[in-house]
Amino acid sequence: MKKLQIILLVAIITGLSSCGEDLLNINPSSALPPDAAIQTVSDMETVMVGVYTQLQDADLYGRYFILTPDVMSDDVKQNASANRAKEWAEYGGFREHFIPSGIWTEGYEAILRANTIINSDIEVPATVQDFANQLTGEAYGIRALMHFDMVRIFAQHYGFTSDNSHPGIPIVTEFDQAAEPTRASVQAVYAQVISDFQQAISLMNENRGAGYMSIEAAKALLARVYLYQSNWAQAEAMATEVINSPNTSLTSGDSYVSTWMSNGFSPDAIFDVVNLVSDNVGSDALGRMYINEGYGDYLPSKDLTDIIYARGDTSDIRAQLFKEDPTLAGVYAPIRVNKFPQIDGSDNTPVVRLAEMYLIRAEARAMTGNESGAIEDLMTIRMRAWPDAPAVTASGQDLLDEIEEEKRIELMYEGHRLWELMRKKRDVVRGDCTAPADVCTITYPNDRFILPIPDAEMNANPNIAQNPDY
Amino acid sequence: MKRIFSKLLVLVMFLLGVQAVQAQFTASGTITDQSGEPLIGATVLVKGTVRGTTTDIDGSFSVRVDGNTATLVVSYTGYQDQEVQVTAASPNITVSMAESVEQLSEVVVVGYGETRKESLTGAVTTLRSDKLEAVPLASVEQTLQGNVAGLQSNMGNGQPGANVEIRIRGQGSISASSEPLYVIDGIPVISGSLTSQTETSNPLATLNPNDIENVTVLKDASATAIYGSRAANGVILITTKSGKAGKAKVRFTAQVGANDWAVSDKKRLRGLTAEEYTNLYIEGWVNNGETVQQAIDRFNNDFPDPFSGQPAVDITDNGNGTWNLGEIRVDSRWIDELTRTGINQDYNLSVSGGTDAIQYFASGGYFKQESPIIGSDLDRYSTRVNLTASPSDRFKISNNLTLSRTQQNGLNDGTRWAAPMYLGYLLAPTIPIIDPTGQYYADHKSFFMGGNNPVGAQSGDDTQEWTMIRIIDNLSASYELLEGLTFRTAWAFDLLNFQEFYFRNARYGDGRGSNGFGQETTDNQTNWIGTQTLSYNKTFSESHNFDFLLGYEAQKSQSRRVWTYGEQFPPNPNLRTLNNAAQSDPSSSSLTGYAFESIFGRVNYNYQYKYYFSASVRRDGSSRFGLDNRYGTFWSVGASWRLDQEPFLQGSEFFQELKLRSSYGVTGNAGIGNFDHLPQISFSGIDYNGQPGGAFLEIGNSALTWEQNNSFNIGVDFAVLDNNLSGTIEYFNRESENLLLNVPISRTTGFTSATRNFGSMRNSGIEFTLNAAIINAQDVSWSIGGNISFIKNEITKLDEPFLAGDYSRFRREEGRDYNEYYVYGWAGVNPDDGAPLFYTDATETTTSSDIGDIERYYIGKSGNPDFFGGVSTNFTFKGFSLDAQFTYTWNNWLYDGPAWVVQGDGRFSPRSQTSLVLDRWQNPGDETDVPKFFWGNRTNSNLQGSSRYLLDGTHIRLRNLTLAYNLPSSLMSKVNISSARVYVRGINLLTWTRDPDLYADPEAAINGYINSPVPNLKTISFGIDIGF
Repeated sequence: MKKLQIILLVAIITGLSSCGEDLLNINPSSALPPDAAIQTVSDMETVMVGVYTQLQDADLYGRYFILTPDVMSDDVKQNASANRAKEWAEYGGFREHFIPSGIWTEGYEAILRANTIINSDIEVPATVQDFANQLTGEAYGIRALMHFDMVRIFAQHYGFTSDNSHPGIPIVTEFDQAAEPTRASVQAVYAQVISDFQQAISLMNENRGAGYMSIEAAKALLARVYLYQSNWAQAEAMATEVINSPNTSLTSGDSYVSTWMSNGFSPDAIFDVVNLVSDNVGSDALGRMYINEGYGDYLPSKDLTDIIYARGDTSDIRAQLFKEDPTLAGVYAPIRVNKFPQIDGSDNTPVVRLAEMYLIRAEARAMTGNESGAIEDLMTIRMRAWPDAPAVTASGQDLLDEIEEEKRIELMYEGHRLWELMRKKRDVVRGDCTAPADVCTITYPNDRFILPIPDAEMNANPNIAQNPDY
Repeated sequence: MKRIFSKLLVLVMFLLGVQAVQAQFTASGTITDQSGEPLIGATVLVKGTVRGTTTDIDGSFSVRVDGNTATLVVSYTGYQDQEVQVTAASPNITVSMAESVEQLSEVVVVGYGETRKESLTGAVTTLRSDKLEAVPLASVEQTLQGNVAGLQSNMGNGQPGANVEIRIRGQGSISASSEPLYVIDGIPVISGSLTSQTETSNPLATLNPNDIENVTVLKDASATAIYGSRAANGVILITTKSGKAGKAKVRFTAQVGANDWAVSDKKRLRGLTAEEYTNLYIEGWVNNGETVQQAIDRFNNDFPDPFSGQPAVDITDNGNGTWNLGEIRVDSRWIDELTRTGINQDYNLSVSGGTDAIQYFASGGYFKQESPIIGSDLDRYSTRVNLTASPSDRFKISNNLTLSRTQQNGLNDGTRWAAPMYLGYLLAPTIPIIDPTGQYYADHKSFFMGGNNPVGAQSGDDTQEWTMIRIIDNLSASYELLEGLTFRTAWAFDLLNFQEFYFRNARYGDGRGSNGFGQETTDNQTNWIGTQTLSYNKTFSESHNFDFLLGYEAQKSQSRRVWTYGEQFPPNPNLRTLNNAAQSDPSSSSLTGYAFESIFGRVNYNYQYKYYFSASVRRDGSSRFGLDNRYGTFWSVGASWRLDQEPFLQGSEFFQELKLRSSYGVTGNAGIGNFDHLPQISFSGIDYNGQPGGAFLEIGNSALTWEQNNSFNIGVDFAVLDNNLSGTIEYFNRESENLLLNVPISRTTGFTSATRNFGSMRNSGIEFTLNAAIINAQDVSWSIGGNISFIKNEITKLDEPFLAGDYSRFRREEGRDYNEYYVYGWAGVNPDDGAPLFYTDATETTTSSDIGDIERYYIGKSGNPDFFGGVSTNFTFKGFSLDAQFTYTWNNWLYDGPAWVVQGDGRFSPRSQTSLVLDRWQNPGDETDVPKFFWGNRTNSNLQGSSRYLLDGTHIRLRNLTLAYNLPSSLMSKVNISSARVYVRGINLLTWTRDPDLYADPEAAINGYINSPVPNLKTISFGIDIGF
């Protein structure tokens, strides 16, 4: 009897181990393996949301992708307490700095997320095929945008070498965790970007609003790409398509300032990265780098504001995108940038706006001899903000300068100015300069106009080449 | 029944007495221990006969003796045998038993059981309650430092209830956990910090150290392998007190003390005075190219005195590049205001006792500790009931239940603006602490680090509170099926409710942009474990002693976390819960968990208690690994030889103990994330434009498997000179293979690293432990003991070296010590111009001020000490006793994390600096280590990861000094008190550092990192300990 008990016990003890498979099968409560996560078009939509989420990252359209080129330009001067992007504003950056590391890391993560959609390869019912195509097209558009953004900030501009064979960035179109890619040439990256935007345009079939990639957004960005290539004809053609689209319109002058002051879409928005109050961006926000209630590290330079004020004290309504701050003193007084005024960080970040299309077309037309067309486009934007603006009669370089000035004002603090100077092979000249004297003028060409390949990438990827002087 | 029996006995004896030729009498008496407590179950034998008895619950016995005189032999486990004469004339005796000085019969707790010390084949150290009780520290691990050879622990953070890092025989892993497994009364429990921020909250602080009977540290595979996949970093077994049959013992202890920083106020960094800061401020701007007048204008704009409307300091421009200070209106000493004398209190009441059938221990305790920083404290209420019932000789059932509530108020650390021990140095002393309305000043928010006011925040304007409510219950029953064969079933629950509450006020600091915000987290952790074991002891042929164990164990642990956030609070500062917030989103919850399922077995064998052999094996299944690698098998073998039992040493005058032992085994480390093996699209916290989203966030690796730890140990235990000198010498070699490593990968993949089994590491070393009784007389005793451990760490396989992170001070490379610093070499300051100088490379032959010219290199200094350990001594004279314990580490280097800001040479204007800036370079020819100061400093003199911020952590510290007096029992018995002890105790009273100017506490994190923590404590306390 006792023996039987013992045998039974031993059997129980050793036997229990075989019935525990359920015990050990524990899965995460908020995650799924990739193939299980994308099975229907609704799953695709959910994962596409994750692509847009990534654009909100502080290293991308949340803050640094916009802020960093601006602090390197002549539109911004540093406040005394400036800290975060200080090294870049002072052209003393280094390859371990968190900003290049962040933009690189998060930018490629955005590409990974877009590739997850593009390569998901699921079969969907015919009734939702259009929507699946729309989502795939959006993913192509974001992939193009990220490559374009990173090639701008990590590589010298298109046209830096005659054949654009200078190093760009690695092109990533599929996930491979063992990949250690080399840098593709700028030529190749631009080709990929154009091809992806074209693919996006061909796949998309609806406009889901300015919070999402759309045919118009892809075309608008493509217009910008062509402009950077000095491909005037294509730039004009794309800009025209966007301007003529029923899905785009210019915000009226009456509501222009109030639109910036509220936390919805930007004026003329074609594609904004949406930040809601509930996103709780808080101190990570782009705007809080400028406003007093935030870090307040960066201030508008008089180089820019003087142009606006020269138009008559308040004639140009864009003067209202600044505000006085009595706590500023001396060389820092008296105004701050107030284009992104929400203390809680709920301003959308504009990626591309219709006003830019008019200015791109203006430049393209001016460059191709259609100066009257160019002036028409220029004045559309100028007179919206400055109804009393005198007529423009300039031509040639003077006209181009007028267009450049208008673009500088209209797109100020949206991360454009540095690229505009680069592609035109111009020096950065800071008249109102709080930086050390030796970086008040930075001459073109300059190794320091671009960021280094981050140290972390250099260490992990033997095939990657560093930018000169880093 | 008993009474009838004794009546019968009397009757029989009467009859015998009448008839007997030979005389007989009944000897009776009481057997007690030295304190007079009755010993139950002591054996009393009439010498030369087989007649004997055992003592009853009152310690009394009676036994019939032939003849008129006899010798009784009294024996009791753990006590020296005594022989006592009895005669018919005086048949009543009282025997006071002396505790056995022989440690050979000491019972040691091991995994799934206990054993006699002499039968151990592994490396095990036990600490008894006398080392653990009445220490004015929140959690028990804090007492281990210096008491256990090979165990390194650092109190890197003085926050009461902070997590304590422990390394047993070195750093065993790179990416997975290097912390040991904690087992309380047989249950592997929740450990590791719980907070959502970087501050720390230690679940082991929920356990009242006064309830602990002993702590056993298992170090080598022979001891740990029975814990299989969780044993690689050693195991710490904690056993709580239980009752013993006998009269109820009531014990009350009380302790009250005060504490300060362990670093003396002469050495510690202080903030600047207004005078010092103002001069620095002007100098910094003048050095930046401004005129004195411009700098004064700036100052006046930055620093108004809100009371007078005048500048905080009057400054006059002398016109020749110099200036003078006039009236100083604001002179805030932020660090001083944050510092206080903290009060410790500890009260415990316990009762224990029982009968043969039931034994109990019950206790209640209250502990409160305030750190020397305002707003940082911990209190704990705890109760415990441990019950054991034995309805029959064969059946035993016991239940240990403890309930506790621990509440911590703490602070931010690191280089966040809200970190008081960081910000306290950076805030200018020319900013007032209080404004004219009596509120904490906040008007510097427009320009000074979010206007954080750490004095206000720590005085109640903000809240940072962690609460833990914990119940641990352990029910077990055992039944002896056959002689020597016992089945035991044990079911345990560890329930932990953790609540975290942050509130940030609307006026200044992090909450200023959102009209105040609050954040509340609740984490409910449930952990159950069921263990079934069968054990069998048997001796064959009188010489072959066997002891078998077979077991099955299943465990599941689950954590459910709810997080909520609210902002836009009403201005009344009392309204802080989130229902007051106008806007209370987002909120989030998560559920995670892991499970283990295991079978294990062990066999211990010895031949005539001379030759010992043991072997154990465990097969573990874990939910943390993919289906391909779900199960792993771990094992160990060990052997020992008691030379003292051999004829050639038996009876040796010199050797009382000499034992050789050795072991080898393989254990595992499953201390990784719950789902690291799984590639995942995660949906947690991903949304855009109000829509839920998902993203490919976890790269996963289905091939992931356990880290494997191959551990060899050889040791010798000895006791000589009448046991007056005893010790242990051990050599060990731990080879950790298949190290789980977050291998950095190209970030173009979208990931920064992938977890792989990659690399190997070795920890080898020698440990010495020595204890000596120098004087052992009637009224005087003096003993001294100590240990020293030499541990060498080496990464033995790593295909490619990698930097441990951006700005990291470490680079992992094959052949190197894991914690060897890889930094830029600081070469001091150029006396000509005050510029920083760095060595250009490892040759340290050329220097440069341009960081474009310099590279990092291995500087030959490590965060790991060459050796470390402790020395303790105990001196008693009559009722007095003096205990002292020293701990030490040698040649470990610390890195001051926030120094690049608080000693940043003006890099961050207009932030103040620590007092080290007073040594700055000012004039050509100045020989100093602190560069020229100018606002906006662009020289990179404050480069992160440079050897400038390395500090020598070599130190010897008087960890504990206790002077106690036992009041005479003759006096106490008059007031019905059986024992009374009063004492004064000091913690960290003295610290010697090799670097005489060391400003930081030499005890930092294990990796040497200092991160603006609450300073470690120096404590003096008074206590009483009364037994009834």
